[in-house]
Amino acid sequence: MKKIGLIVNPIAGMGGSVGLKGTDGEIYKKAIELGAKPTTPERIEQTLALVNRKELYFIVAPGKMGEDFIKKFDFNYEVVSKIDEETNADDTKRVIRKMMEKGIELLIFVGGDGTAKDVYDVLGLTIPVVGIPSGVKMFSPVFALSSFAAAEIINNESNQVIEKEVLDIDEDAFREGKLGAKLYGYLKVPKNLSLLQSKKEPSNVSKPEKISKEEIAEYILENIEKDTLYILGPGTTLKTIADKMGVKKTLLGIDAVFNEELVGKDLNEKGLLDLIKKYNKIKIILTPIGGNGFILGRASKQFTPEVLKLIGKENVIVVATEDKISRLECLRVDTGNAKIDNNLKGHLKVITGYKTETIIEVK
Amino acid sequence: MTINLHINENPYSPAKSIQKAAIKGLEKANRYSEPKDVIELKELLGKYNNVSINRIVLSHGSDLLLREIINIFSKDRKIIMVNPSFFSVSQYALKQALRLTRIQISTPDFKLDPYLLLNELNEPTLLIIDNPNNPTGKILIDGGTAEKILQNKNVLLVVDEAYYEFSGQTFASMIEEYPNLAITRTMDKAFSLAGLRLGYLLMGDYFKEHFSDFPIYLSTPTLFAAIETLKKPENMTANVDKILNEKIRVEKELLKTEIQVFPGKANFILIKTNIPDFGKKLNDKEVIICNLSDEWIDGYYRISIGLREENDILLSIIKKMCKNA
Repeated sequence: MKKIGLIVNPIAGMGGSVGLKGTDGEIYKKAIELGAKPTTPERIEQTLALVNRKELYFIVAPGKMGEDFIKKFDFNYEVVSKIDEETNADDTKRVIRKMMEKGIELLIFVGGDGTAKDVYDVLGLTIPVVGIPSGVKMFSPVFALSSFAAAEIINNESNQVIEKEVLDIDEDAFREGKLGAKLYGYLKVPKNLSLLQSKKEPSNVSKPEKISKEEIAEYILENIEKDTLYILGPGTTLKTIADKMGVKKTLLGIDAVFNEELVGKDLNEKGLLDLIKKYNKIKIILTPIGGNGFILGRASKQFTPEVLKLIGKENVIVVATEDKISRLECLRVDTGNAKIDNNLKGHLKVITGYKTETIIEVK
Repeated sequence: MTINLHINENPYSPAKSIQKAAIKGLEKANRYSEPKDVIELKELLGKYNNVSINRIVLSHGSDLLLREIINIFSKDRKIIMVNPSFFSVSQYALKQALRLTRIQISTPDFKLDPYLLLNELNEPTLLIIDNPNNPTGKILIDGGTAEKILQNKNVLLVVDEAYYEFSGQTFASMIEEYPNLAITRTMDKAFSLAGLRLGYLLMGDYFKEHFSDFPIYLSTPTLFAAIETLKKPENMTANVDKILNEKIRVEKELLKTEIQVFPGKANFILIKTNIPDFGKKLNDKEVIICNLSDEWIDGYYRISIGLREENDILLSIIKKMCKNA
């Protein structure tokens, strides 16, 4: 029996119908006052109705966080932990910790970007997840496309996993019509192909993500220039490069390396400006956010126009796995400075493996 | 009954005379195929393409030819391909290439910028282009660009013209002049012989040296069916006309919906839609289309043109979906 965790954020998505653009913090009470109805029951029931694997053993959250839904179906399950009438992010995290103690190998969660953040806080890159979208904000690429797609992923779970971004959307700004997002973390998701496979040949025989990242790192390392400050943006690909260099990089921060030594950690704009002034030759290495393709202006706000002015387009190196870049229509920049954005636009070479590159348009 | 609209097959079965020829070949299945039949097929292909027969190599499907080209010519050359492209070949290139550059073509028109391409040809290169491109159906290079590429002796240009009979565009007439040009073709699509897998290569002088000992493993039913098909190419052209007319009709109908349609030059249509589980909903009704999110970008689908009644079923399901979306 494979142990699978199931947790539902019962209030995710409630803000949407009443125009509140999210239920983070105390906003969900306002949503209830405005007559919002929960959207999660429908989503999770749609998925569970389509799950046809018999060897699954569910470890579920109590009541409206999971138990109420699973009991309508014919699955083996047990309930962990307890919750009050009102639930919040702490409940989500506590229940997932309990599930981990029970040995779950996969977690199904229902919610939006806020829920994904809570899941990341507990799981990090330990076990894979299937995210069923039910929030108001679902900008994180970590989510399945729909509750039906989530069922497909569960039914045809593959051994291969890929890392997808969890984005932190500024809900207050979002309500004002602005989309401010930063990279919050990564979750592992099963790499499943759709059921609409070609019968002609087995498709997608691309390299596992981990190997692609190592190949990128090897290539970067081979071509590294001496006496040059390398500023590494956030992300697991950049972390792999740093690991290969033998330096300890933060996963989500911006760090700097000079002649294989870490000279700046988790840098902010000021830290970057101070460092840039000290060195003559500077290069930055970035990776796009999966799904939307932003290389600047989303995951790495610390690269402000002031910082970028001092670096120059010719010193920007972009890396991404083949799988990630193939799924992007283009790369995007949104630094907040139109002149800098325009300068970065046009075609750019992205390193996708050892001596492998993709030329893609930056828009 | 399942309607298969996902791998760009021809919806029309081969004519009775072709089926009979294949059965005649089957009667000789205890024997290896005979060289004289290979020569006859090459002569017919030579006539069809206006190319001398010593420039033709036969193969069990054109994928094998493209893979062989990658094996032989990528050892001391960079490979350049576009993305998206014929997925099985681009995945093979990714695996085999010592150096690989992919040029991403993107919306709104999926054009390949000729200057961008020409600028990349500054070292020995094997350039593989599907023209029209699969899955966009777009013509990526025209004759003028092809000539500019071929004038660079450092470059080997391989053009996959699997959908030539639908697009009408070919560089076959340039084969004599340019040693560094090769063209792959197939009888899978327009000629309705997908199940028999007959691909062939038209090659310039440089490729000839390397393909002189390429083994021919074609079965007698395949040879007989292909020979019979080429004796009466008017069957093929009539089917191609019907498919292209249907394609125009399906495109027009799809354009009435909210679905984004990207017109192309092959026997399929590229579309984009945000309707959740679009492919799955069609699949549930036993209409199978190609979901490109497996290899490319979410929301893109490739739909092969089927028989009129099959296309009608497809359209009615899509229209219902759009209404309910």
